[in-house]
Amino acid sequence: MSKLPDPWLTGLQQGWAVLGHTSEPPTTLSADVLVIGTGAGGGITAELLARAGLRVIMLEEGPLKTSSDFNQLESEAYPTLYQESAARKTNDKAINILQGRCVGGSTTVNWTSSFRTPSETLAFWRDRFGLADLTDDALSPYFQQAERRLNVSTWLTPPNENNELLRRGAAQLGIPAAAILRNVKGCWNLGSCGMGCPTNAKQSMLLTTVPTALGLGATLVVNTRATRLNIQNGRVTSVSAEYVDKKSAPSQESIAKSAIEIKFGHVVVAGGAINSPALLLRSQAPDPHDRLGIRTFLHPVVMSSALMAQRVEGWAGAPQTIYSDHFLGTQAIDGPMGYKLEAPPIHPVIFASSIPGFGEVQSGMLKTFAHQHILLALLRDGFAPASAGGQVSLRSDGSPSLAYPLNDFVMDGARRALLSMAEIQFAGGAKEVLPVHEQAQPYTSWAQAKAAITQMPMVPLQTRVVSAHVMGGCGMAASPELGVVRPDGVHWQIANLSVHDGSLFPTSIGANPQLSIYGLVNRLTQDLIGRLGGKAEVLA
Amino acid sequence: MPTTRRARHAILPPMNRRNWLKLGMGSALVLAMGGGWVASIAPGWRDGAFSADAQMVLRACGKALLAGSLPADAAAESAALDGLLQRLADAVAALPPHAQAELSELLALMGTSAGRQLLGGVSAPWQNATVPQVQAGLQDMRFSRISLRQQAYQALHDLTGAAYFSSPQTWTVLGYPGPRDL
Repeated sequence: MSKLPDPWLTGLQQGWAVLGHTSEPPTTLSADVLVIGTGAGGGITAELLARAGLRVIMLEEGPLKTSSDFNQLESEAYPTLYQESAARKTNDKAINILQGRCVGGSTTVNWTSSFRTPSETLAFWRDRFGLADLTDDALSPYFQQAERRLNVSTWLTPPNENNELLRRGAAQLGIPAAAILRNVKGCWNLGSCGMGCPTNAKQSMLLTTVPTALGLGATLVVNTRATRLNIQNGRVTSVSAEYVDKKSAPSQESIAKSAIEIKFGHVVVAGGAINSPALLLRSQAPDPHDRLGIRTFLHPVVMSSALMAQRVEGWAGAPQTIYSDHFLGTQAIDGPMGYKLEAPPIHPVIFASSIPGFGEVQSGMLKTFAHQHILLALLRDGFAPASAGGQVSLRSDGSPSLAYPLNDFVMDGARRALLSMAEIQFAGGAKEVLPVHEQAQPYTSWAQAKAAITQMPMVPLQTRVVSAHVMGGCGMAASPELGVVRPDGVHWQIANLSVHDGSLFPTSIGANPQLSIYGLVNRLTQDLIGRLGGKAEVLA
Repeated sequence: MPTTRRARHAILPPMNRRNWLKLGMGSALVLAMGGGWVASIAPGWRDGAFSADAQMVLRACGKALLAGSLPADAAAESAALDGLLQRLADAVAALPPHAQAELSELLALMGTSAGRQLLGGVSAPWQNATVPQVQAGLQDMRFSRISLRQQAYQALHDLTGAAYFSSPQTWTVLGYPGPRDL
């Protein structure tokens, strides 16, 4: 256990209003604004609203876990901090999704990569979804404020070997690579970001906005899930919720009649893409143009592992400090799918469960664990007609299910990405490269790998695909025919309901999305405060 | 412009055993088993624990999947497999109900003679099957044209790998030092 100071322990002693943590929350609650979810979107929203003098309740389905609980152990982190124990999957089981489920949401467990929304992504939104105000210039102050607030800054420590290999291999091929900005302050370079930051260096919502809101008198209700928005005459009159404790899916009974009722003037849904559209589906929110739950994007990820002569120790040191956007720019944004290259952290559980093969083959790989180097490619989905993304629907128990077709268009991008990564890894000195695909073998030369990957059947399941970025499903657009919410984040058909999370995005981002959420939500919330009659506030 | 495509507010049918079979298994297996028979299989996961049959499946598959990583000494191997089973139970207990239900069905099917042979590709009973026999069955599932068999293989592979290597006792093989002292 971390012996370092934990600001939450102090805050709780000082009387922060946290309900549901040590006992069941009360059955009725009320506020000016209810914010559902405490991740990137909910956190920013709650801090700004609280600073504007509004009475805020933050509702969080996951538990409150803080730095003193973070033991750098995958066995503890995955079941407690992630959706579905880090094993959330698309309904064909072909994509494994990493998504947070705790106070701070995915920001508590992400790898700190911070990118503004790429200009070409915003241009596409203006062009195709009528979001005329979303220009680089208009958003710049909102990004700047978020960057200051969360200490998004240049990481001056040299990259770990796993990331350095990306830089070195790419440089050999003349492919540009650059450093990733990180939202950390006094980072110890441990590499356990994905298990919760034990030193409170990561400027997640858990450490920043949620405590600030609490300090200003907001209430946080944890272990409590919004089951239903009660909608009448174009307004949400209240939200029904249930204390989750050990239960992981909303029961039929609880949807019909939940134990907890929360009243408010305005509600902000920020449960993350997948959960936010699912809440609206459970609530039978009006959806006259069939936009709800569609166009869910994942940045489908394919991976390539390489055996190096030297020790890599991919568990040690900050993850994802070097990236290359070269392959996002080699074709038109709505052409064949582009991809971003990064180098993830490598820990035993995620490695053993992701690397294909078993028995002596797997044990051979594991014996060289310290020498394994891994690259990943995030495929930029949602820009071409053949990349319409996935669709959220509900299981009979009310929990969300995501269908995401890995069609030939997506898998063509996956094949090119496996080729690029193998070439870079050989250029960086790899002795062997194993594309993460059931039918792949460790290849000992680029020529051999190229021949094999070119022939490999790029089909779901056989190609191992994961995702850590969930976007869309409550898309923003300038007309109700094209989106669920208006350009100001308010639902097209429900006047006192805003959506403030990654589910707003009309396409994927083409970069790790946390800063895109912070920036856009910062702007939406400042507008919302004006409409709700709060005093004007900026972030930071 | 993005197109609209979907069944409105689709509610998926409950994943009962029969649906699950129809979903991906191909008609031969469904015919071989028959609907009434399928409905009579005891769940592989109930009241927070694996059934005895499910434990047998997981143990045999664990031994095959982890060959080369398990301790060589028989008593130590047995203890390592006990630990694996315990960690698998902990992992499954933390899964949401829909995932528990699917896994329960998979393990229940694999625990029957017909399921072991047709889904798992193993002819000898689990307690007698050799590691090479189970490995051959797993390899068969892994590359099967039936997506349900691929899904079943990956579920066993991923769960076993994750549960086994979550224990610090297994890290010496990896040369992984574990958490840093803070």
